Parts: sequence; structure tokens; C-alpha cells
Amino acid sequence: LSKMAEESESALQLPPSTAAEGEGPTEVSPETATPDPPSSAAVSPGTEEPAGDTKKKIDVLLKAVGDTPIMKTKKWAVERTRTIQGLIDFIKKFLKLVASEQLFIYVNQSFAPSPDQEVGTLYECFGSDGKLVLHYCKSQAWG
Amino acid sequence: PICTALTTGRMTDDKDVLRDVWFGRIPTCFTLYQDEITEREAEPYYLLLPRVSYLTLVTDKVKKHFQKVMRQEDISEIWFEYEGTPLKWHYPIGLLFDLLASSSALPWNIIVHFKSFPEKDLLHCPSKDAIEAHFMSCVKEADALKHKSQVINEMQKKDHKQLWMGLQNDRFDQFWAINRKLMEYPAEENGFRYIPFRIYQTTTERPFIQKLFRPVAADGQLHTLGDLLKEVCPSALAPEDGEKKNQVMIHGIEPMLETPLQWLSEHLSYPDNFLHISIIPQPT
Repeated sequence: LSKMAEESESALQLPPSTAAEGEGPTEVSPETATPDPPSSAAVSPGTEEPAGDTKKKIDVLLKAVGDTPIMKTKKWAVERTRTIQGLIDFIKKFLKLVASEQLFIYVNQSFAPSPDQEVGTLYECFGSDGKLVLHYCKSQAWG
Repeated sequence: PICTALTTGRMTDDKDVLRDVWFGRIPTCFTLYQDEITEREAEPYYLLLPRVSYLTLVTDKVKKHFQKVMRQEDISEIWFEYEGTPLKWHYPIGLLFDLLASSSALPWNIIVHFKSFPEKDLLHCPSKDAIEAHFMSCVKEADALKHKSQVINEMQKKDHKQLWMGLQNDRFDQFWAINRKLMEYPAEENGFRYIPFRIYQTTTERPFIQKLFRPVAADGQLHTLGDLLKEVCPSALAPEDGEKKNQVMIHGIEPMLETPLQWLSEHLSYPDNFLHISIIPQPT
């Protein structure tokens, strides 16, 4: 797991998709073997990192809303300074959405934070059980 | 009026404070950026900006004024800058002024741009709907902190709309008819669950400080502004016997540090229900 403090653009290399094109389940898998992200990725899968140190990553749990594709890997370790926009870009890439498709992220199933909001701040204020739960949706779910 | 009450500690009618906050204005001079292409000379445009509103909500006249002297093809999304700093439209106007320009002489001199939108610094503002969405999101976030979202969720869609329309149309009574519900708390409590606040400094990398902070201590004592700063931003406070290096500013004034945070939250929040606090260097 990444313990590097080095920041980088969400650099997770997506493997060639094995999901059916159009039909079949909407679940998108990160592949048979989850690849290790480049060590300087700002977003990396899973985590056992202790919270507390401001330089460490925080745990984010991503939940799909409605018929938005579900991410096979739902739990991610994210650097505190990563913005919501950064997370949106990452999810869109991961789900292979086109750039023009919108993606909305919600906290507490009640508000959509500003794209420049840092996940670390959201975690401090709205995290529970050591993680920040975020719902994502291709349309506006909670206004 | 707020100055006197809060800096000397004399009680003023609380409702007057709400009105003074709402109707606060900043005299501003808008000048077109010199490199913009114009068909004839562009005169500066003067406007009183509402402290509690957002730049892109109140500058239609500014846009029209400058677009009159430009060609259609030279115009894309408008953006504003002060002394080289792009102004974030999604921050309340009063916050931007306090943080960046309060120690300078009036009027506030803002430069208007129609080209080279600074993607890294600013969010796009495609429509009034975007401003409404942002505003309502902030209101919801604030209520998540104050009431676990119970009050905002109990309201009907038309009440949410009324908050926005009140802000957009500068209607104090219309706004507060709904907002007063967001300022209530259960009889058995002494305040909100947590106080919605953001502390801004130009001297740090992070955009702002926002944390969980209760208005009431375990022993029932009301936490003060000073308590908040001591806990989340101790560098803002002067050392024990040291010189005061910073101003702690909300709506252009420095409230006494002994002011209860709950009172500040109820009376000096912006329409989005957040206390936006600026820490700025003490002017010499």
C-alpha cells in the first residue's frame, strides 16, 4: 500500500476491461487481480492506515446511487488534500464514463460538496467509524 | 452599529444585528482588464456589492456595461480579480473583501476579465442555477452540523426555494421567515450540535479550517470565539503577553473574543448559515 507522501494525478492504470460491452451487469471490476497502484497514487485501494496524522490518507467508501455503475472496489485510501473534483475525475475514469457525463457526489446523502472541497475536511466533519461514506450518482439525487 | 455593540460589549437588539449584516455593502469599482479588446474606451463601473451575496449573482450590470464596448467574439466567461488574485465567485463577497482588501482604501478595485479563465483557481459559473445549487448545498451542510439535517429535511421544497429567492432578490423578511427555523435548537439543549464555521487565512496553503466544534462545553458553559480559535487555529491569537499580530474578522468587524460562539452562529452567519471568519495581519 502506498505510504509515499508524494502527490500525483490519480494515476491508477486501468486494465483492459473484461466487462460486457453494454449488456450484462453494470458492475465494473478493477480486473481479476487488483493491480497495485503506482506507489505515488493519491488514491489507492483498501487500507489499513491509522487515521490521525494529517499527512496520512483517509478511508473513503464509495456507494453508487440508482442505476449508476457500481465500483467493484468500494473502499479507497485517499490523501486528505484530494479534492472532490479529483475524486469525481477518478471515479469517472474508473467507471469509464465519458468526460461530458456528469457525476455528483453526496455526503450524508444530503449535500453535494463544492468541487474544490478537500476530502480530509469532509472526513473530519462527516466521517464515522474511521471512514467517509460518499454516494455518487450520474444524476442529481438529493438536489 | 454592529461595531459598537460587539466591540464594547453593549447589547443591541439582536434583530438589528441581523439586518445590519444582511444590508452590509462594499463600494466597488470595476475596471476592465487592460488587455481586453474593446471597440472604444471602457469606463469603470461603480456598484455597491452586498456582503452576503456572491459575485456572479450581483454583477449582471457590470457584465452588460463592459460587453457594450466589446465584440461578441472577444467575450467568454466573465471572471474577477483583485491585485492578481482571481476571486472565487462561490465565496461570499464580504469574505473575499475582508480577507483580501479590508486594509486597503475604498472603493474596492476589482478587475474584470473576459478571457483566459484561470481553470486552476476558479470554478466555472455556467448559470444562476449553479449559484443556487452551491448555496443550497452549503445551507444543507450547515444544517447537517447544527441539526443532523433534521430541520432542513423537514422543510418543503418551496421553503428551500424561498431561502434562495430571498437571497437573490435581497428580501430580508422573505429569507428570515424560513432561516429562523434553521437557527432554532431543542429546548433541552443550549445550542446547536456543532457550529458551522470556516476560518480563512491568506498565509497558509489550505483553503480553510473547518472542524467539529460544539457551542457548549461539557459543564454547560458556552464556548466563545476565543475558545474556538484556541482549539482550531491557535496561531491566530496573540501570545499571552505578546503583541496582537492578527485581526479576527467577520463581516468587516472584530467581535470580542469573549463573544459566545452560539450567539455568533445565530447572528453573524452568512445566509449559507456558515460563520466565515478571516484571519488577517493587523494593519500597521
